[in-house]
Amino acid sequence: MTSRELLRAQDVTVSRPGEDGSYVRILQKTTLGVAPGEVLSVAGPSGSGKSTLLRLFNRMLEPDSGQVVLSGKDIKTLPPPVLRAQIPLVAQKPYLFPGTVKGNLLASARLRRVEPPELQSPDIKNLMEMCQVEESWLSRDARKLSVGQQQRVCLLRALLGPCKALLLDEPTSALDRQTGVLLAQTFKLLAKEKGLAIILVTHDLQIAEICADRIALMIGGSVIETGPVSQVLHAPKASASRQFLSSTVTDNGEVPT
Amino acid sequence: MNTTIIDLSLWDLVTVYSLLLMSIGLAHILRAGQGRDIFWSGLRMFAQLMVVGYVLHLVFALESALPVLLILIVMTGFAVQTIGARVETKMPNFYRVVGAAILFGCGGMTFFFCTLVIGLEPWHDPRYLIPLAGMVIGNSMTGASLAAERLAAEFRERREEIETALCLGSSVKLAAEPVVSSAFRAALIPSVNAMAAMGLVFLPGMMTGQILSGTEPLIAVKYQIAIMCVITGSVALTTFMILRFGYRSYFTPYQSLREH
Repeated sequence: MTSRELLRAQDVTVSRPGEDGSYVRILQKTTLGVAPGEVLSVAGPSGSGKSTLLRLFNRMLEPDSGQVVLSGKDIKTLPPPVLRAQIPLVAQKPYLFPGTVKGNLLASARLRRVEPPELQSPDIKNLMEMCQVEESWLSRDARKLSVGQQQRVCLLRALLGPCKALLLDEPTSALDRQTGVLLAQTFKLLAKEKGLAIILVTHDLQIAEICADRIALMIGGSVIETGPVSQVLHAPKASASRQFLSSTVTDNGEVPT
Repeated sequence: MNTTIIDLSLWDLVTVYSLLLMSIGLAHILRAGQGRDIFWSGLRMFAQLMVVGYVLHLVFALESALPVLLILIVMTGFAVQTIGARVETKMPNFYRVVGAAILFGCGGMTFFFCTLVIGLEPWHDPRYLIPLAGMVIGNSMTGASLAAERLAAEFRERREEIETALCLGSSVKLAAEPVVSSAFRAALIPSVNAMAAMGLVFLPGMMTGQILSGTEPLIAVKYQIAIMCVITGSVALTTFMILRFGYRSYFTPYQSLREH
């Protein structure tokens, strides 16, 4: 593993019992790492194992074989809650607890049984600005915000812990194009300014192109190609990548430019 | 006042069973399709209660602890089995968890009441122990089913909420707290409502029974109050144990939610 990498999955394999009782391989000996300050996008068709891979990093799932390493140490050496606070996951569909936006932002501290953060501190005001969460929202009913606003609150809530890396599972797919693009720019900003290692799972190559430094293409439970975004999208080496990229163009009309 | 109870003759029983025939007739008029159920349930009631009557008659005559304990164990077994039949989505280790909770919850509360409160002499006097334990186990059984069912339903419906909490670094205990407290509330609602409505809406069965058999109403009332406290205590303790041991089984050893 390269010394710069913060978070790495090494030869991870996941199988699940299929409908006919036989075991189905969801991930086969997959290896993937991300460095601080880097946005790594994981793209691929649905069912390719992207989300499964993502959930291995914060141990919401455990691989059958292989290991996940954070700062050079197997994540199994950390208690899962400690690990998850350092590597929060933001899901596709924003989930806010009932109550105000402020209550949601303080929820992470409450759930970790630590002192609540001072929302008026310069650091947090800066984070709020980056996530484009407005101060006037704080007293509002969190569930009455628009989906895009809710996703921003979820993002900010995840960042209020001892966050080192961020796992994003299709965070823009519930949003309209413009809101999605804005959020993608936020991801890039967070990686660059806060030095976070970000893994962004998406099937939307435009979003990947906006914010990712590198992209990993997954098909059928394996990473078939990794590299800088522009190289992988415009001059893919593997024939399976070319096939996937051309099918994406015809299916969604999202031509990677 | 006449304090000896009036026995029912076989002919009296036949007469009251005619009321079931009437119910079957009424069900037939409304095409409720329930006639067969009423008939068989009525028959089952007769057979089951007659067996119980003869067993109790025998146990009372034997005056020994062993058959009393045996009956209590059989009652517990039936209760656990009934809960198992009622609860559709069972948590892992369901029978072990529920069995232990019923045994300790109901056993503990019944023992508390019979020994420490009324000072039963001998401790296994079936005339007190069996009906009291029956009421405690029956009510705890209802509470336990409600709790186990609600727990499973809430873990299904609130998956997103629990996963969000876990992903923010919550412990399993804190992430499950809303689900566990909701299941506890669901289990206790019948006992709480029964206590609040006691005497106003209905005259409870035990008190009525005691009065019918000649007990002074004030004594019967005091017994009813005591048994309601014991029942509530037992429902709370049984449910608490089921939830405490039960919620963990919804999580993996590495503290994430199990897949369905």
